[in-house]
Amino acid sequence: MSLNKNKFFIYFSTFFCFVGFSQETPRVEIDSMAMQNLKEVVVTGQINKQSVDKSVFEVKVISRETLDRLAGNTLADVLNQSLNINIQPNPSTGKSSVQLFGLDGQYFKILVDNIPLINDEGLGNNTDLTQINLDDIEQVEIVEGSMGVQYGSNAVSGIINIITRKDSDHKWEITPYVQEETIGNEYGFFDQGRHIQSLSLGHRFSDQWYVNGNLTHNDFTGYLNDREGQYHPLNDGRRGYEWLPKLQYSGKGLVNYSGKNFKSFYRMEYFDERVERYDSLVRENFNPSTQTSNPTATDEVFTSKRFYNHLNLSGKLLKTLNYDISASYQQQKRNVEQYNYRINAREKFDVNSQEYESRKGIYSRGTVNDFFKSEKVSLQLGYELSNINGYSSALAGTFDGDNIERRLEAYDAFATTEIELGKRFSFRPGTRAMFSSQFKTQMAHSLSAKYNFDKGYQLRAVLGTSPRNPNFDELFTYFVDVNHDVQGNIDLKPERGVSTFLHLKKNFFPENLGWRLSSKISAWYLNVDDRIELTIVNESPLAFQYNNIDEYRTWGTSLTNKLAYGDLQLDLGLSFSGESKVLNSQDSFNDDYLYALQLSSNFSYQFPRINTTFSLFFKYNGPQYQFVLDTNQDDPSFVRAKQEGYGWMDGSIKKTFMNDKLHLTLGARNLLDISRINTQTVNSGGTHSSPNNGLLIGYGRSFFVKLLYNLNI
Amino acid sequence: MKNNFLYTLAFAFILIGASCSDDEGGSVQQDFVVAFQNPSLSFDTSDTQKEVNLVFSTAAPSDGTVAITYTTDNAVYGSDADFTTVPDGASGQLMVGFTGGASGTSFTFNKLQDAIEGASKGVNFTLSAISLTDSNGTTPTIQGNTQLAVSFTETAAPAGTTSPEVGGPNEDNQVYVDLSSLTQTTAKRDSWDLGFYNGDAFRVTINGSIFMAVAALESTDIDAVTPTDVEALQPQVAVGTFDAANIDYVDAVTGDLEGTAIAAISETDADNPVYLVNLGFEVGTDTPDLGGVALNGEARGWKKIRILRSGSDYVLQYADLEASTHEEVTISKTAGYLFTFFSFNTEDLVDVQPLSDRWDLNFTAFTNEIEGFGSYGYADFITTNLLGGAVAYAVETATKAYAEFTAADVVEASFLDDQRGIGSNWRNGGGPGTLPSLKDDVFFVLKDTDGNLYKIRFTALVDEGGVRGYPAFEFELL
Repeated sequence: MSLNKNKFFIYFSTFFCFVGFSQETPRVEIDSMAMQNLKEVVVTGQINKQSVDKSVFEVKVISRETLDRLAGNTLADVLNQSLNINIQPNPSTGKSSVQLFGLDGQYFKILVDNIPLINDEGLGNNTDLTQINLDDIEQVEIVEGSMGVQYGSNAVSGIINIITRKDSDHKWEITPYVQEETIGNEYGFFDQGRHIQSLSLGHRFSDQWYVNGNLTHNDFTGYLNDREGQYHPLNDGRRGYEWLPKLQYSGKGLVNYSGKNFKSFYRMEYFDERVERYDSLVRENFNPSTQTSNPTATDEVFTSKRFYNHLNLSGKLLKTLNYDISASYQQQKRNVEQYNYRINAREKFDVNSQEYESRKGIYSRGTVNDFFKSEKVSLQLGYELSNINGYSSALAGTFDGDNIERRLEAYDAFATTEIELGKRFSFRPGTRAMFSSQFKTQMAHSLSAKYNFDKGYQLRAVLGTSPRNPNFDELFTYFVDVNHDVQGNIDLKPERGVSTFLHLKKNFFPENLGWRLSSKISAWYLNVDDRIELTIVNESPLAFQYNNIDEYRTWGTSLTNKLAYGDLQLDLGLSFSGESKVLNSQDSFNDDYLYALQLSSNFSYQFPRINTTFSLFFKYNGPQYQFVLDTNQDDPSFVRAKQEGYGWMDGSIKKTFMNDKLHLTLGARNLLDISRINTQTVNSGGTHSSPNNGLLIGYGRSFFVKLLYNLNI
Repeated sequence: MKNNFLYTLAFAFILIGASCSDDEGGSVQQDFVVAFQNPSLSFDTSDTQKEVNLVFSTAAPSDGTVAITYTTDNAVYGSDADFTTVPDGASGQLMVGFTGGASGTSFTFNKLQDAIEGASKGVNFTLSAISLTDSNGTTPTIQGNTQLAVSFTETAAPAGTTSPEVGGPNEDNQVYVDLSSLTQTTAKRDSWDLGFYNGDAFRVTINGSIFMAVAALESTDIDAVTPTDVEALQPQVAVGTFDAANIDYVDAVTGDLEGTAIAAISETDADNPVYLVNLGFEVGTDTPDLGGVALNGEARGWKKIRILRSGSDYVLQYADLEASTHEEVTISKTAGYLFTFFSFNTEDLVDVQPLSDRWDLNFTAFTNEIEGFGSYGYADFITTNLLGGAVAYAVETATKAYAEFTAADVVEASFLDDQRGIGSNWRNGGGPGTLPSLKDDVFFVLKDTDGNLYKIRFTALVDEGGVRGYPAFEFELL
């Protein structure tokens, strides 16, 4: 039963009326937005936690405030609005991954409190953004560019570092919330829509000891669109869901000790997810003798479980040395239950459960710094080691029916030093050696520099490298039959990524801080060499193998502005980038640069009198192109195939009641109602656009209401 | 403080309340339908006993019985008369039992006396009642083929269903199906290597179902050919190399006898070269992922052969590549059959095909061609008995629905002079991420070896659980 939008509004407005009765009290005094900006502190890539301005890296921050205004429950809810980042949802697996600078999730690393977060396909890579709950998150930090020295392999296009909350101003904090969302135009109290409930508890025992815990239930019931769900008995392509139903439970806990010269925290996470995939292919099993059908289908239920344990110790040794050590045991396992289903009888048979993919293992990272008593020079020495056991079942890849199990041990050592030459200039060279059980020793290097010009202009240059390790498919694929010969290559080398970034930045503000404008111009060049691609290694009989053969490069420039004026805040970013692919794996290729434009903006306004914040987020992803070989002409040539541009707009109204105790957020995602975007294809009819085959990126305009209660004692 | 507590409690309530989810949708009320598998059954003079199959729409919900009555046409029940049944039907009704969970049952029909030449003789059975010990909520229903006409003389089946025993995901068998007599004959795919044509021409076919390939060599001396001579050629003499030229190494995919990879055997011995033979693959034994096939096992290796004529016989010389001597066998033509089959495994003749007019369709793995890329191995292929005169063509349901298609709709000119009139067109090919599936928007018209016109509709590619190699189809005489 789908609810039309009018009804939905009525339902929500009654909700609003109900809470509207509660008494309004004067709002708690908060800092002006201009002031807030000044206090932004970042952790990522720093020798010591420091302010954005002092950082040699260029770190983008998504604050808790922004996460709240987007009512973001998972990382996938919020990254849509970030410049240069695209989210690639995969409706047939239910996963969403990051694409940054045209490179997919294999090149991008996701960390939590500075250590990579495991998932069933990797340590920090290929992360499913929908599996990352944001409920105890303080802020999300994003760094673009290769960060091999700081974060090791597979940090080619950039990293996200999720910083969790580790302290509170209150003795007790009890924060339950409920959030109800439509999925496109589909909503029902239990069977349709997205239903989130969460409870967080925090307690400060003393100045030293703090604990918190969080439980979240996130039920995404799936999006049907024109599909008919699980019980549809016909083979007309309409069985199942367009977006798969997904049910998530997440539990987290933290114990934090913070003494004078010693700090420590232990944080754990348990995550459980169930994704149901109902096959659209129905075997009708028509029996001509009895003139009856007995429709069956083969369905899959994927269940993922993640355990995350992180113990961190930091402090001072011998009064000068700062150390910071993290040790972690993590595992994520994805099981599949594959079964046949008699649709009329509502009956499962041939049930087969097995492990689908998993990663588990130990990880540790440690740094020691400040060997010198100098303010001008700081040296950081560090190690990173991981011992990860990977498993990929025959169902997850093409491994000749075998299950692949492999242990990857990595032992890295790195050193960076930050040197200040005078008041204006500082630079930071770094290097890392990576020893592993699988690959030859890899090196990563970095060199960053910062120069403060007159009048507050800051120039940063960041050069970095990072390798990307080959994945299981590239290493172990084996598909050989009478017609085919496609093989992985155990001798593959890691791909090599190098990036260079330049950032020129200035903050404009008057003496009274009545307003503030931060502007930044950036330019970058990123190159991935020895790219792994399937290539023909024998013409007849035709045989393919993965090899280090291609090259990818991209350059771009962006302009971002942050304006805060009174109760108004406006962010505006514009980016222009080109990508070029040298495809030696193909017979022929065109490596001209293909350009694309992105714009992101974010507007919010606070009405202090009514404790209300209005926010609007808008991102425009311009048309993207790729080269397609048009073989319809006499002389086959490469033509630019266009993927339409589209805009993505989210908006919300957040109001607090009862002395900031009760928060109500009403909002909408995907206000422009985007679902599929057209992509041009080339076929026998020549180049033309095929709207039916567009890329699925959203499920249409959705509305949400979030009601949060904040009990602080 | 009390207020706070109440609010917290309220939230807790919402949390618990919202965690409940709705239950599974109830199941659809199901009928338990019993029917005869086929509406007709005929005996030729040599048959004396046949099983009559009854099929169920779903697994039987419990033990039970089907009551079947009959009427006769020039036939009398009794062990000293024309026919009997097991279980006994002397009373004019037979009770056929079945057990819970079964998907069908059967009874036996014994033909005791043939029909008198020129007179009809038959028994018509009718399903009359179903009883179940426990219906488990289903409704017992008689529907579909509620009657069965048994003829004591050979008649073309007016309609029927067949599930060729291809053998599951390894597709072990070549299955030869005769529609008019509702019979099928199976031969294991790797049970034969060469087929010697029994008609006027001297032609030899290779076994494309196991992806054999052959190439003519320069030499006419089989003992002189060494592995070194053929080393360079070997990688090319195979199916699926994606080299357009490799199509010369396999038989014409159309089924045209003139297009065999081995040239016509000449009376002049000097014109008959030695051939390099790629023996293809053994039948696979692996269990593939659900919905996939595993056709091939170990490669069967190589042979060298030379074929000569001796009067109206063939003389086959064969040897392993390394051998400097060879075996020789004389193969005579056998009347009534299209080919005489020889196996290198048994070094003897083997039975594969039924009589040339006793099969219309062959369910088999097949060496087909992808235009421009050469030979390509296909699973789930269906050839017609082109040399025996069976041809077919496809009709899209958008043009005419299967049920409405009559003899008047048959377009004679559409019949393809090609054994691939059905071919692989009855299924969707699948691709990365999608499995092959039944094509439900197409059916076929077949002219069988006796000139009967049938319409054929495929009802399964896989079994109920999605396992490949379990095709099924229905047909109706037009």
